[in-house]
Amino acid sequence: MSKTNTKHKVSKIAQLASKLSCAALLAIAISATPVTINSVSAADTAVSIPKDSLNSVMWDFMAKEHLLTDASSKKIVMNNSILVHAPKVAEDQLNLPIHVDARSIKNIQKIVVIADLNPIPKVLTYEPRQAEARISFRIKVGQATPVRAAVLDKDGVWHVGGTFVDASGGGCSQPAVAYGNDDWVKRLAEIRGRIWRTPGQKSAKLRFSVRHPMDTGLADGIPAFFIEKLELKGADGKLLGNLYINEPISENPTVTLFPILKEATTAVQITGRDNEGNLIDVAVPAPVQSSALQN
Amino acid sequence: MDKVRRSLLIGGASSLVAPILPAPISPLNAAPLRYNLKAQRIAYNSYVVIGKTEDYSPDNGGDIVNVAFIDTSDGVVLIDTGSSRRYGEALKQLIYATTGKDVIRVYNTHFHPDHCLGNQLFDKKKIAALPKTISGLKASGEDFSSNLYRILGDWMRGTEVIIPEHVINYSSEKFGKHRFEMLPFKGHTDADLAILDHETGVLYAGDICFLDRAATTPHADLESWHKSLKEIKKIPHKIIFPGHGPADTTSRSIEQTDTYLTWLEKNLTKSARSGKDMLEAAKMPIPEKFQSIDVIELEIERSVAHLYPGIEEKTLPFLGQGDS
Repeated sequence: MSKTNTKHKVSKIAQLASKLSCAALLAIAISATPVTINSVSAADTAVSIPKDSLNSVMWDFMAKEHLLTDASSKKIVMNNSILVHAPKVAEDQLNLPIHVDARSIKNIQKIVVIADLNPIPKVLTYEPRQAEARISFRIKVGQATPVRAAVLDKDGVWHVGGTFVDASGGGCSQPAVAYGNDDWVKRLAEIRGRIWRTPGQKSAKLRFSVRHPMDTGLADGIPAFFIEKLELKGADGKLLGNLYINEPISENPTVTLFPILKEATTAVQITGRDNEGNLIDVAVPAPVQSSALQN
Repeated sequence: MDKVRRSLLIGGASSLVAPILPAPISPLNAAPLRYNLKAQRIAYNSYVVIGKTEDYSPDNGGDIVNVAFIDTSDGVVLIDTGSSRRYGEALKQLIYATTGKDVIRVYNTHFHPDHCLGNQLFDKKKIAALPKTISGLKASGEDFSSNLYRILGDWMRGTEVIIPEHVINYSSEKFGKHRFEMLPFKGHTDADLAILDHETGVLYAGDICFLDRAATTPHADLESWHKSLKEIKKIPHKIIFPGHGPADTTSRSIEQTDTYLTWLEKNLTKSARSGKDMLEAAKMPIPEKFQSIDVIELEIERSVAHLYPGIEEKTLPFLGQGDS
């Protein structure tokens, strides 16, 4: 079987799966795994996949689908200095808080967050530029799952860390809470946010939320509708970071980033769009550095 | 429960390979699980069964809730039915052993599973609840039940959700000499029934009041909850029987629930104002006066999940709106 055919088959399965429930999907995904393993070409197998410290049945498949697809991949290593903080048990499957801290890795290209056993496993890709390599956000989980952060450095090495979260299930196939309110369209893409600066710290804290249903497409009769990309720039137009978010991010995505702002920076510009072309463009005012005030 | 069996049940609930399968069937699980329920008399003809002030666990089998029964000349009036069919069975036996009478009225104070998954043992036409308790249980009962099967394993065997069929749309009813006043509150959930027995002065508060066990907030509206506590304080009573924790003769349960919820909301708001995420907000220091409250750390972590997104929406400044 050629590589193209396999890929086509996998994407067909993904399409089919998006119409099914979380549990049914897992069964399909598992049955698809051996097919993919048997049919990878020599080029793919050149990078060996290390044993998973979280013992996930999906790990090999995740590595092939979401890490090795990046052309610059040369190596994958398990690295427990990549911290993924999450509660042990998801109290609310629609709002599971996650904090990823990859500050131990230098020269980062990007951070990819994956929840293996979610029907749509890929959570987000973050490319910190003028920003610290850490991020907080909330996700939906379909059932108990590993949540892992894979950090790609400039040498093509993926550093992978993660944790396991227990959950009772159902987060992905439930309709957004917003549909309980009649005014959800009126309030779509409302943006809230604020920047905190602490004297003596080079990074600021930026927390923002965008009002958006972030539909997975897995709830009956509701097509996928989600924010795809957010770009953050300083007032001087310099790129602070790119954030590509996927369906598993919680409704009304709420994110903390740690941009490194120049003292004179007065605002951070967030721009982006969802998969239906709705535009987001907002300036988050940055308070004057308090140390400057004291002088 | 011995450690081996416990680990098997936990393994069944959270193992990675088969997270959705029930606890594995093994000879070790074959020994019957038993609740050790005891009735305590707190007033004339009035008995309570006090649950452990813990979270659900395979050790306690979900025996974490208070129920009460009143022995009237017409028959027994029961307030709440516990977490499982097996709990309902043990409760029914205990009631008969204590009173020698049958149950003629059951109240479900609200729709949470620890208060109504023992309903199966009683005639559903005699089970009374507020309209929103009935609709809430219809909507969420099955999810509650599967989650408890996942956590408690075999303790839940045979448990089914039974919807109350007797709608409370009246202000009081009388059995024997006991006139029971229906007091519909809200705040812990959309519909929280408290019941005052005018014969004894016992106020059965349901989960509007907690005592020495942290209040839970999965469906809470704090503003309504505070209002309800204010109103309940004005109702003349001799004893408050809270939904969780010991019987209360000094109204301490009203005070403690009120101050705990106020403190919780204040701290979460402060955390949101300083830019903390949910994980950081859950790490709040607990003041001395709340140190003796059971499972407080756990409930704070859960409450952050329930309440923080809403609090953040109120505190983060509005910046603008995208356009299409």
